Amino acid sequence: MKGLILKDLYNIIHNAKSMFFILLFFAIAFLPSSGVQGYILTCTILCTMMIITTFSFDDVSNWTPYALIMPLSRENLVAGKFIALFIFSAAGTLFGVLAGSIGIRIASAFMSVSESAAALPLGLSAIVSLAVSTIFGGISIPLVFRFGPEKGRLLVLVSFSIPSIICYLIYRLLIALGIALTDNLITIFLYCSPLLALAWNFAMYRISCYILARKEF
Amino acid sequence: MTASTLATDNILEIKNLSKQYPGFFLDSISLSIPKGSIMGLIGENGAGKSTTIKSALNLIRKDSGTVTFWGQELSSSKQIKEDIGVVFDGINFYETLTPAKTGKVLAASYGQWNSRQYADYLQRFQLPPDKEIKTFSKGMKTKLCIAAALSHDPKLLILDEATSGLDPVMRDDILDVFLEFVQDAEHSILMSSHISTDLEKIADYIAFIHKGKLLFCKTKDELRYRYGIIRCRTEEYNNIDKSDILAYRKEDYQWNVLVADKEKAKRKYKTAVIDDATIDDILLLYVKGEQTK
Repeated sequence: MKGLILKDLYNIIHNAKSMFFILLFFAIAFLPSSGVQGYILTCTILCTMMIITTFSFDDVSNWTPYALIMPLSRENLVAGKFIALFIFSAAGTLFGVLAGSIGIRIASAFMSVSESAAALPLGLSAIVSLAVSTIFGGISIPLVFRFGPEKGRLLVLVSFSIPSIICYLIYRLLIALGIALTDNLITIFLYCSPLLALAWNFAMYRISCYILARKEF
Repeated sequence: MTASTLATDNILEIKNLSKQYPGFFLDSISLSIPKGSIMGLIGENGAGKSTTIKSALNLIRKDSGTVTFWGQELSSSKQIKEDIGVVFDGINFYETLTPAKTGKVLAASYGQWNSRQYADYLQRFQLPPDKEIKTFSKGMKTKLCIAAALSHDPKLLILDEATSGLDPVMRDDILDVFLEFVQDAEHSILMSSHISTDLEKIADYIAFIHKGKLLFCKTKDELRYRYGIIRCRTEEYNNIDKSDILAYRKEDYQWNVLVADKEKAKRKYKTAVIDDATIDDILLLYVKGEQTK
């Protein structure tokens, strides 16, 4: 499985260069107005989406049948994609934290930077960004396995509404049960978001395994 | 005599392999590859060669039948996959990779990967290790795939149209590598190809698939030295015992008749012209002519 991850990292390195410049542009354009927290989330989501690009590379090079003749199982192939997803997301978060922290200091030296009192602590922002991005990225993997990278890419945009709808339904349910969403409760929920992301991605992993097991090459 | 009857110790055994698609039926294919031999799989486009190989490799689900490598199913152990090298038609690595990076990916995937051997093959095939694959010619890409397939010490090499699209000089170089590979009596090759001259050069057995059916699986020498083509006019054709005919084709002024025993035919039809049959002749007569058996 290490080989699969290495292959994705080698393949994506060309895109990573342009991604670096995009993220720098975002830092200059939006950091002073949206703050570090928003920037971390943006960086993480953009880097997470590179997972779909790796599927495009696999598709163009007809990689998957070749991978299946290597000493790997179909489950290994799926697991490799989820690990690559986590690596891309974590890299995005790390870049967001570092570039965001440095950028905001530089920006505040030259202009007045808006800092919301309600902004999350940096560490919690990073954790939540990573969790949210991997939840979104996790949906893309079974979709792309099922429909291929081109159709899958379009469906991913639509499917991003699924976690949002689930969150909204939970919110409505809590209100219906008479549970007030206090700041304390929201903070606990945010700290628990990695567990939610883990459970969500496990479900997506199982679905992806099911899809790939039935696929012919 | 078929390969399977000759074999006592087979690397690959395919028994009654069937697979149905809309408009195509791979009908109960059975063949086996003995150790130390090269099996050539021939047939027209869409005959079922790739379906047979992909079914054997579990890339597509077979409807029925069994495929065993060294007596075991492919899914039973990862070690079996370590011992199989596969080359498909076309490269399977993204083209911004270099041979060096490809080697690192494969080294991390195969327990038996031999980096030194891979470097030797790159050198032998004159493949620059740090140049992106997209700058390579088709022949160089094929050589890279072959280098990758041979560098994890496989015992069985499966080649699906691997030499198609290469010039004769490059094909000859690659065929030499395959012949070298089977010098080890534990090694075998299953090679599907349109290029019958390649198979005539290196194959020990020829399996002929036509419209999803295995028409025959015979030693190359049997085809080369026993099969013959009677070239005759209509009057002579009418006198040929129909039980001697495997397939025939009428051209403008001539009948081409494939027979399984040319020496017997020479004795029986003394005035007829009887030529040796090449694999191409046999393939053309079966595919474009009429079969009687």
